Parts: sequence; C-alpha cells; structure tokens
Amino acid sequence: MDLNKFKDKNLVLSLAQAIQKKSNSFGLLRIMHVCGTHENSIMRYALRDLLPNNIKLIAGPGCPVCVTSSRDIDAIINFGIKNKSKCIIATFGDMLRVKGSQYSLFSASKAGLLNVKMVYGLDELIELARNTKKEVIFFSVGFETTAAPVASVIKNYNLPENLSFFSVHKYTPNGVLELLKAGKINIDALLLPGHACVISGVSAYEKIADNFKLPCVAAGFEPADILSAVLMIINQIEHKTSKAENEYKRVLKYEGNKLGQKTLNDVFGLTDSIWRGLGIIRKSGFDFNAKYNFLNAKAKFNIQFSNKYIEEQKGCRCAEVILGVIEPTQCPLYAKGLCTPYNPIGPCMVSDEGTCRNWWEVKGEI
Amino acid sequence: MKFDKITMDHGSGGKLTLGLIENTFKAKAGLDSAILGDIAFTTDSHSVQPLFFKGGDIGKLSVSGTVNDLLCVGAKPLYLSSAFIMEEGFLIKDLEKIVESMKDEAKKANVKIVCGDTKVVEAGKGFYINTSGIGKIIRPIDGLNIKEGDKIIVTGNIGDHGFAILNERENFNLTSNLISDCTELTGLILPLIESDLDIHWMRDPTRGGLAMCLNELCYKRDFGVEVFEELIPISDEVRSISEMLGIEPYYSANEGKIVIVANQKDASKILDVLHKHPLGQNAKIIGEITKDHPSKVLLNLSYDTKRLLNMPIVEKMPRIC
Repeated sequence: MDLNKFKDKNLVLSLAQAIQKKSNSFGLLRIMHVCGTHENSIMRYALRDLLPNNIKLIAGPGCPVCVTSSRDIDAIINFGIKNKSKCIIATFGDMLRVKGSQYSLFSASKAGLLNVKMVYGLDELIELARNTKKEVIFFSVGFETTAAPVASVIKNYNLPENLSFFSVHKYTPNGVLELLKAGKINIDALLLPGHACVISGVSAYEKIADNFKLPCVAAGFEPADILSAVLMIINQIEHKTSKAENEYKRVLKYEGNKLGQKTLNDVFGLTDSIWRGLGIIRKSGFDFNAKYNFLNAKAKFNIQFSNKYIEEQKGCRCAEVILGVIEPTQCPLYAKGLCTPYNPIGPCMVSDEGTCRNWWEVKGEI
Repeated sequence: MKFDKITMDHGSGGKLTLGLIENTFKAKAGLDSAILGDIAFTTDSHSVQPLFFKGGDIGKLSVSGTVNDLLCVGAKPLYLSSAFIMEEGFLIKDLEKIVESMKDEAKKANVKIVCGDTKVVEAGKGFYINTSGIGKIIRPIDGLNIKEGDKIIVTGNIGDHGFAILNERENFNLTSNLISDCTELTGLILPLIESDLDIHWMRDPTRGGLAMCLNELCYKRDFGVEVFEELIPISDEVRSISEMLGIEPYYSANEGKIVIVANQKDASKILDVLHKHPLGQNAKIIGEITKDHPSKVLLNLSYDTKRLLNMPIVEKMPRIC
C-alpha cells in the first residue's frame, strides 16, 4: 500500500483548507485522541499548526506503558529480585525504563538485582523460554492491539512450560467510557485509535457516542487520515449527530476483528484495573480466564502486591497530561528542564508513545 | 543531568556524548579532525556489530571513517595507523577478511597503513579496531567563516548505514535491499578541496545521523539551520523501514556521505562537481544557514509547517504498538 498517498501535500493542504472554511460554524472544539502513535504523527507533521485556533487536538490516555501502575511494576520487580537465580523477566523495550516506586526494570537490572531481557516480539519470547531452564515471566503490557496477539499465542501455541505471563493489558473503550462517566475528561469529540480499533472495532465506541453525545471517528496515522477524521467530526457536529464512524477503512472493519475478539475473550476476561495516576477503572484490564490461568504468572507464583506504592514522583503531573487537562509544557518539571528524556521523572517522558516525550522531541527544552 | 556511570546512550553520538566530551574530557566538541598547521590529525574507534554486514565490514569502516574525517577539514588523507583488540578464539580467517577489506579501502583512498598494534583479550570481550590518520591540509576548512545564507548540501541519500545495521543486528528479516553506504570519499571530496569553491564546513553525518550533524553545525553558535523535508534525499528502502520502525531517517547513521556548508554563490557549482562522481549522483541542496533561531535546527515540512529537528535523545528503539 502506498502510504505516500496519505501524506500527499495537495491532499493534506486541501483538507486543512476545508477544515478552516468550516471553522466559523462552531465554537471551541476539543477533540481527544487516545493513541501515542497519533500524537507522534501530530507532532512530527506539526498538524496542530494546520488547524484553526478553535480546534484543539488533545492527547488523552493513549500510551500503554504510561498508564501501567507502579503497583504492578513494583510487584514484578520484587518478584524478580526474590527469585533472581530462578527467573528472567521479559518485556518490550518501552516498558523497561518506566519507574515504579523505586526502580524501573532497567535500573533494577543494571544494579544487578534481577534478570531482565528485552524482546521485540512474541516469537523471540518463546525462543528465550525454550533456550533456558529458568522461569520466563513476560510482563505483558499494551492495549487490545497487543493483548490480542498475546492471547492468540497463548491459545494456539504449545508453549514451553517455563513461560508465563503477568498481564497488565488494558482495554481502551472501557477506560475512556469510565473516565467520561467520572467526569475526568472534558471533551467534544473522540479521535479513535486506528490500531486498537482493528481488534475492538469502531462499534465498541457506539455506547460512548450515544451516551455522551460525542462524535467518534477512528483514524489512521498519516496526516491525511487525521485531518479527514477531523473533518468527519466537524460534519457530525454540523448535522448535530454523534455516532461512531470509520475513516481508516483501508485497514479496519467497523465491527473489528471477530476472530481476534473471540480469541481475546477465550483467554482473557475484563477486570477492574489500576491506571497509573487515574486509580481503579472498572472492567478496563485483561486478566486470565480460568481455562488459561495456568499461564498466569500472578497465580502460578502467587505474586505479592503491596498497597504502598508511589504513582507520581514529587512534582510530576503525568496524570493531568494523560487526561489532557494540561499540556506537557505546563508541567513545571518539563518547563524547568527537570524532566527530560535523559532523566525522565514521569512515565509520559519515558516511552516513545508518551505525550511529554513526543513534545520534547519536537519542541525540545522551552 | 548527572550520571554516575556510563550508559549505552553516552556512545550514541547524541547530546550525552557531547556532555561527556565537554564535562569529563574537558574538551571542545568541534571538527572531525584537529588542524595542526598544515597537518590534519584524527582518530576513530570502531565497534560495529555485526562485524560483517551488507555493504562492508568493520575493516572497511575503520579505514573509510578515518579517511572521511580527514577530508572534512580540507586535508588530503595520507597515513593511517591501525590497532586491533581481539577476543581469544576469534577466527583467523575472519581477521584475514577484515584485513583484506582494510587493504582494499586504503588503496581506493590512496592512503598507507604505516603502523599498528595488536592486543588479545579474554573470549567474549569482542573485536574492535582503532585507526588514527594524518593528512596534509590543502586548505583548512574549519567552520569559522559560516555565515547567514550559506547553503547546506548533502552528498547523497541519508540513513542507509544505520538501518542496514539495525536490520541485520535485530534479525528483522526484512526482504528489502538495505545496503550500508560505507565507503571512503576521497574521489568525491578531494576535487572540491583542491578547487577554489568557497566551502566553509564539512562533516560526515555518522552516529546520530543528519539530525545530530546539523545540530553540531550550529551548536553554541550565533546562527541556526533551516532544512527542507522535501529536499532531503532518502531511498525508498530507507523510507519504508523508517515507517515500519517509527524511526526517522534523519537519526540513522551514514558512513559514506558528507554534509557541506558553502557560500551560496558556489553551491550549484559544488553540486555540479558532486553529480559528476558516481557517489555524488543524488547530492542535493537541503537548506541554509539562518540568523533567525541561533543554535536550533528547524525542519520545514511539506505542508508549510515547521518543527524542531532535535538532537537524538537515546538509541532509538522500535515502538511497541
């Protein structure tokens, strides 16, 4: 597929013009996206500069490692430390440097406290387990986009006996729904995450569109995708409708991936889950169903959780950034140069998907 | 930012490397080689993994890297030293291959390898080559005359080496034809040095890629850099792996390209010279020096918007979703 088509200068500029033309027909329009890759594109192509002043593109809770609770990070690190001689903790690169109450997996590993291995994919994870006698515990992070392939591997592969999973997976639609219900986010429309909707379907957001009268449009990640979706949102507002729509038809089906959903539901069930800085969110996390619970590291090793954990280091305002209440540059730690990618204080500065990190890369120190 | 220990990021060629040079070595980050009267002198250590890759090997790289560093300050490269640190158990036949590559590359660059050293370390500690080089200054190109309006030229497609290495190192098994651009550039650059074309600065954009190179160009200077996305030459292969991994080509290393800053009146003549050489066919003017935003590199995007092209932060890793 030629992605250049969706970067095409004339197309992008004509979409921007169409949006400008319509911008007098409404007041302030706050559109929240919930995907780090969207924020990455928006910053990389400076798309906010193409929009009229009354349209605000707000970054919401779209970075899976940023919303992973310190409680979970502490639990896996403490387990890894206690069982250093017997186990290896594996995870994806982005997760390594996110700090829990005291350590990140990376810093604890560098201090020689536990064995950590970064993997790029699940095939590498399985290989790792096959080639060691130690227990391999995968700290399994990500939204439904990542949870579905993990579920598929669990269901369809004959996995080595020494491999198990510590799920911190989150389910975006319920996360957003509950945050809206609690009045924690204040917006006029939602730009839905193209990757995550491949699994959940755009349909998973119908309830949000209906209950909160919010236009919801799923979008791809190229500049023309994002601007087209903004235009679709404007059209809904003009027609006083609020429904879940799909801009990203070349990749995703409105109803999502039925097989993926089935696999997910076979392996995992929805459970209450702690989102970092946001507290417990009802039915927003994936954890093991009884049938596959033998692969659940938390159960297999009776992993202990402490209720004493620190979600936010002093002065860190990641939680407000995640909710789109403030922009990264409004956080004093960012503004004073105290939180940078070289010395990240909060999770949003750690991951490539994090809002603060995305801003820092393109705006630098202010 | 204070660190108790060296991290991998201190070696990534980005801001942390600069910090180390200034704060620990108490030195000034500057040109690719020292200019000592009519002599240019430089040194470079090579630790690439894998040792053999599409388009070259550590031997070829160790010669071309040092030769190119000498060229960048306006010198004709003449002599190199080579020091090997080898782990116990390293295969002699692999060493022979590496030495053969060094010989070939030195011959191409018309330089002589005149002295060396050999050390063996315990198994598992790796294989490294250090080369130092001296050259005769034809005319010093020291960056002191850079002025507003100077044009910035890149001698060809950017990002090839970094992605070729990443592809092999991480076994992404991408079928695309990614080949390192690793090569010495004497044939391309020496005629420019020997001409009277008004060149103010040159650098090979290796670690940290084009983004780091341009940031170094205006680091702590009273001018900034403005480049244009649409003008920067990038191959389709690099473009697609860059999209796939979410790493921009501007941050990927080059080992056979030079960034040239020159008086605008001579920029098109320089391009003509470059275009006549096989290694300069894709040379382009990509931007200019400006007084508008000192010490900053701005990237003009295709949509008439612009953004900062920051120094690379840490070793880039593929995103997880």
